[in-house]
Amino acid sequence: MEGTPPTPVISTQGLTKHYGSIAALDDLTLDVRPGEIFGFLGPNGAGKSTTIRTLLGFLHPTRGTAQVLGMDVVAGSVEIRRRTGYLPGGIALYDSMTGDQVLDYLGRLQGRDAYRRQELVERLHMPASDLRRKVRDYSRGMRQKIGIIQALQHDPELAILDEPSEGLDPLMQQAFYGILAGLRAEGRTVFFSSHVLSEVERICDRVGIIRHGRLMAVHEVRELLARRRRKISIRWRGAAPDPTTLPGVEDVTVDGDRLFGTLHGDVSEFVRAVASPSLEDLTIEPASLEEAFLEYYAEEPEVATTQPDQRS
Amino acid sequence: MSGPLFVRTLGSQGVRWITVALAIFGWGLLIPIIYAAFSDAMRELANSGAIPEELLNFGSGSFFSLPGAVTLGTQHPLAIAMLGVFAVGATATAVAGERQRGTLEVMLARPLTRTGAYLTILVALLLVIATLLAALLAGFVVGAAVQGLLDELALEHLPMTFLNGFLLWGAFATFGMAASVSFDRPGPATGLTLAYLLVNYFFEILGSLWRDVAWTQEYSLFHHFQPSEILGGSVDPLDLVICGIAFIVPIVYALVVFPRRDLAAPA
Repeated sequence: MEGTPPTPVISTQGLTKHYGSIAALDDLTLDVRPGEIFGFLGPNGAGKSTTIRTLLGFLHPTRGTAQVLGMDVVAGSVEIRRRTGYLPGGIALYDSMTGDQVLDYLGRLQGRDAYRRQELVERLHMPASDLRRKVRDYSRGMRQKIGIIQALQHDPELAILDEPSEGLDPLMQQAFYGILAGLRAEGRTVFFSSHVLSEVERICDRVGIIRHGRLMAVHEVRELLARRRRKISIRWRGAAPDPTTLPGVEDVTVDGDRLFGTLHGDVSEFVRAVASPSLEDLTIEPASLEEAFLEYYAEEPEVATTQPDQRS
Repeated sequence: MSGPLFVRTLGSQGVRWITVALAIFGWGLLIPIIYAAFSDAMRELANSGAIPEELLNFGSGSFFSLPGAVTLGTQHPLAIAMLGVFAVGATATAVAGERQRGTLEVMLARPLTRTGAYLTILVALLLVIATLLAALLAGFVVGAAVQGLLDELALEHLPMTFLNGFLLWGAFATFGMAASVSFDRPGPATGLTLAYLLVNYFFEILGSLWRDVAWTQEYSLFHHFQPSEILGGSVDPLDLVICGIAFIVPIVYALVVFPRRDLAAPA
């Protein structure tokens, strides 16, 4: 199979959605590979939900095509939804039903066995007593847990999750990340939108950054983080060495025995260069996806929009 | 068609459905009793000229005959309100209400076509309306039997009466569903459907009370459901055709519009 890339689970070609003169989605070309967790990153109104809703057949594309699980999103919409789990952003549930009834009802509509349900209920700490309560009495976090369970209970091949960790407390976020990691380990694909950078950084394999309906870039998260500039702080006993001898260090300022700057590139090369008996303290702040993200958003679109497929 | 959605749609009407069915049966039961008690007095009143004859023929019905009383019973505001709860209220909110709450999105994320979802909800609500209409007619028949007046009704025409009534109220229901799939909020859908029903009702009542503008009745769907004529043995096929067209056209509209609509994220 070497040399033959696997068929993408999600593939869009020039996908465009206009509302009158407003382009909610503009020429989106994107591939999501099987078995990966793909983060779709962007601020509110960037086009994340429009993309998801187009993939699921809620919206009709103005131009372009898209395939999910190898099927056209318009012609194969029903079959796509049979094999996909979807968590809408800010999910609404049937308030007059209990949690159990909601899951039963949506499971029956799905037409597939909900054999992951018990596992998900346990991992998200939804005791039976809570599931017997009316949804109208649920907190936002509990609603979100029901939303996650209903999306994944039938073990979909693809999970499309819109802002999935919204409303979850930190403990439940950890549990949720564990569930996603489990899905990935089983070869399931997860496409999820978020504006929470830390979670994308933590759990995604790749990330697509969208702005004003246009895909700005697609990157391996690891690669993106490796390329990030890190803030450094160094203190020596005695005189500081010439900063120009430190590889990858820029924006240097010296304050007494301290040197501040930004580091980009290979950390190990820098550490080797800086290591000496006079080194007293060294701080390298972890690279943050947030900085990468803000960098993209600070740039002019024309500058940032290199071909996403070339950058992926 | 989706079984779970069908069951849920019926279930969501549950208590209201049973309550109104019992109430409308009771209303039907009452009509022959009122007829038996007051028809002679009404006839004398009409003959005396104390009350204009038009007022005694409200909505093409009257207490001068049992079939006329049945028409009066079907066109009385109380019956209109009870049937309207479902033909207007339930249908107009069926899709638009789910859309506003955001639950339509959860439902349509399942392997269900929009056409299938629409038809499932429509059939379920039409079933509710059919049972209410059946309860109303059953009330008339039981009331007539209790009063010993069954021979005044052409019972063999009861199925035709039911069919005509179902097409009339089904026409309002399909209009309500068409409005429901067209709007993102139930308010406009309900308002439009209610206006449609009230205009029809107004034309019928206006024409029946004011003979100079009797022509307005021809433009009312209510005028094309006359149990007095059907149960009296006279069926006008044109009434069925007109109600049938009013029943079908909104369905065709909804089947064209709903699958093609963009369903943006609920506000």
